Amino acid sequence: MLFAVPFYAVACVAFGTIDPIFRDAVPQWNPLAWDFTQAQQVFASLATGPLQGVAVRTIIYVLCAMILCFIIGFPIAYFLVRHAGKRKLLLLVLIIVPFWVNYLMRMLAWVNLLSNDGLFTRFMRIFGINYNWLDGSPITVILGLVYGYIPFLILPLYATLERLDWRLIDAARDLGANSRQAFRLVTIPMSKAGLVAAGILIALPMFGDYYTNDLLSRSPSTEMIGNQIDFFLNASTQPQTGAVLVIALSLFLLLLMSFYLRSTRQQSRQTTR
Amino acid sequence: MQRRDFLRNLVITTGGITVGGSLLAACGGTSSNTTVDGLAIGTPENPIKLPVTTEAIADGLASESGTLEILNWADYANPESIAIFEKQFGCKVSTSIYDTEEAAIAKLRNGTFKPDLILGMTDTGLAKLVAADLLQPLNKSYITNFGNVIKGLQNPYYDLGSQYTVPYFIYGNGIGYRTDRIDKNAFAKNGYDMLWDAQYNGKLGVLDAYRDTLAMAMFRAGVKDANTSDAAIITKAGEDLISLREATNPKVDILAYTEMPAGNRDINFTWSGDLFTALQYLPEGVSPDVLGFWYPETTVAKNDFMCITKNAKSPVLAHQLINFLSDTDNAMLNREYVGYQPALESITVDLLISTGTIPESLIDALVTPEKYESGLAQVLLEPAVDALWLEQWTAFTAG
Repeated sequence: MLFAVPFYAVACVAFGTIDPIFRDAVPQWNPLAWDFTQAQQVFASLATGPLQGVAVRTIIYVLCAMILCFIIGFPIAYFLVRHAGKRKLLLLVLIIVPFWVNYLMRMLAWVNLLSNDGLFTRFMRIFGINYNWLDGSPITVILGLVYGYIPFLILPLYATLERLDWRLIDAARDLGANSRQAFRLVTIPMSKAGLVAAGILIALPMFGDYYTNDLLSRSPSTEMIGNQIDFFLNASTQPQTGAVLVIALSLFLLLLMSFYLRSTRQQSRQTTR
Repeated sequence: MQRRDFLRNLVITTGGITVGGSLLAACGGTSSNTTVDGLAIGTPENPIKLPVTTEAIADGLASESGTLEILNWADYANPESIAIFEKQFGCKVSTSIYDTEEAAIAKLRNGTFKPDLILGMTDTGLAKLVAADLLQPLNKSYITNFGNVIKGLQNPYYDLGSQYTVPYFIYGNGIGYRTDRIDKNAFAKNGYDMLWDAQYNGKLGVLDAYRDTLAMAMFRAGVKDANTSDAAIITKAGEDLISLREATNPKVDILAYTEMPAGNRDINFTWSGDLFTALQYLPEGVSPDVLGFWYPETTVAKNDFMCITKNAKSPVLAHQLINFLSDTDNAMLNREYVGYQPALESITVDLLISTGTIPESLIDALVTPEKYESGLAQVLLEPAVDALWLEQWTAFTAG
């Protein structure tokens, strides 16, 4: 119900009409009377029109951010489980503490740090890196996404890794595997479900994210699909288009979720056997 | 015919409209009033007497005790002015914020917002507020400072007789720039083309307002119409904005007032009032003269206004706050914080410059009655035309 009811309401807006005077959405609650004209136009735009670039860019940004999250997050989770010892709890708290602060506040803090005379920019200049971070740069937006969502990757990964039977890795080593082989052939496959879950967990909000780009770039060259949804729903006279984009994004995320569910089911079957 | 269908037929699109029509109306010039059942849209060339469905409050009522609820843009009233008002009238003022007129009107209609007084609404919003029967007519006996309002706006085209509204601020669209990086004379030579100059790549911004920015591209191409329904012109404006994007990688937002003083931008297409607000954001030790403004010959000039809701719980206090903000001294204090130019006759260019309130470098950002008169007005577009504008805007912002 938590999904179906809001989704139905969005669909009623997307396939409804617009009040010609107030330009508000007029939801069509009767599915038999739904009008798909606007939806067809929006999907055509996503496929070949102006929105295609935004859709492709969003996928690329999220993929890049996810890869970076894995590269940074997996070693951290691994270290916490295997080597943190008594400091484990302290380190976990230290990872989580910054995220007690509101997301917008953290991003605004980064805007200050990354500005031309910001602390981070000046620090990087010591190493000869003179980069205009807030110049509508895709790198800044992707790093912003990584910073914003990485704890949501580390925590489930940590939970998965902690439940692993590490005697299996020891057994692999006893049987002649070097540490790299043991990691590749035993640790990674055993933590696959956790990796997929953590990936999905961060991918879902990243795809709909708009404030990271709003705060760190505000350039059309880094516009994501969430920005277009925000514009059409909040600042345009076509809320219908925004609602259709929400549906398109939901369908795409539904595909990702089905992949996750399929993957966990397979994992569960393998464990049962 | 359903009410909605009836209203649909009354949405109008007009081209080549100058704001000067309002002055004409004010001077007693001829005007053909368009009064429509439930909906009223005035244009400078077709000023309108709005329909009134309820009585204004009676004369001489005592102020209500309690809270006056205001709906306003963020930072669009000086907290110090509000505090003085609260002390003077023994009340509390509570403010809700809106960030788009569309969202505000939607929330007013569905009851999410229940303010007594709305600040900063414009004529396109007024048409909808009146259609939704959300406003009450003003009783001018409470607004003794109404005479301070710029003469040309005392009888505006969107509300003949100022039945519902009292002007708040005036402004025009133009280009803000850093005088320490750009020569003023470059604008005389290049005009709007300055925004297409690749040397400002990464240091340029345009307004995140599709009507304003697309119209700017049209003015650059020689069009003198901020409301065109000509698909070819709209498409050309969209293409021109894409070429601007490719040349300069612009920021699309409404933050010129913080980004220019911080030195993050050299040039920004923006509202003239933003440059006055920007003065407050200059880093310590930086001269106000670093900010300049080019006021184009062909551009949009606007004003916003104050109005009272039909179901206001404190209508007397609401009238009194309108009167308070229309007083010259109070308006000057309010302006100190908001930055924008009050729509009062007494607050002249000479006054603002001679008192040092506005630096000489920003004299062009001040909207004189002459500039206001020659400015172009924006009116509500038909949904199909609006869709064309939005399509081009999406092509620009989608990168």
